[in-house]
Amino acid sequence: MRDRPSGFFNPWFQLALSVVCVLASELLLKRGASDTANPASAWSWTGISGLASPLVWWAIGLIIISFLSWLYVLRYIPLTIAFPMSRVVDVLVPLGCWIFLGEVISARRWVGIALVIIGLAVLAKPVARFEERL
Amino acid sequence: MTFFSLTLILIALVTFVAGQLFLKRAMEFVSRSSFRNPRFIWLLSAGICSMAISFFLTLGLLQHFDLSYLYPFQGLSIIMITLLAAIVLKEKLTLQLAIGALLISAGVALVSLS
Repeated sequence: MRDRPSGFFNPWFQLALSVVCVLASELLLKRGASDTANPASAWSWTGISGLASPLVWWAIGLIIISFLSWLYVLRYIPLTIAFPMSRVVDVLVPLGCWIFLGEVISARRWVGIALVIIGLAVLAKPVARFEERL
Repeated sequence: MTFFSLTLILIALVTFVAGQLFLKRAMEFVSRSSFRNPRFIWLLSAGICSMAISFFLTLGLLQHFDLSYLYPFQGLSIIMITLLAAIVLKEKLTLQLAIGALLISAGVALVSLS
């Protein structure tokens, strides 16, 4: 296999970049979609009206960045490893709300966060084996 | 939740999963040949179209439901993608990878149920 690029072009760094962009875009999308919601419209199920919100456009920009870095990740890392790891974003959202917004995390959420972290730890060994092959 | 909205949620999920598989296939092609390969362009376009359908359906669903209601379905995408990557793309799926993916899926579902 080819030499693995380092620094900015390291596939694991790109995976992290992709996750951060997704995290920010999810929050922007929800805000933008709620701002422009018009359930009475016949077209409301298509989501097109969301385009009226500038927040949705910011989110689209971030999604494009995360998409490009994700394509780069796919070149190097198998989907069975990269995709489950990318879902760490689902834990970062509530943790971010807890740390920065002072929101309360319920016991059930803490159990979920713990499960995801254990899952990532279980993935660590196949990742290490995959790294050896690179 | 109506049958209609459940169908839309499922279509959004399936188009998302299909998009990921198309993109992975496309990037495997790039590793072996050039960006101008017609098969690469076809796979990339299929992936982008699939993801775009999923994106707009999700945006529409977000206007009707809370994020915390729609998000547990994301947990399913991890199981579907891991399984299909092994079956369709012939990626190696070890027991450890499968257990890791299951734990993350369960965790995501628990975190988003509120």
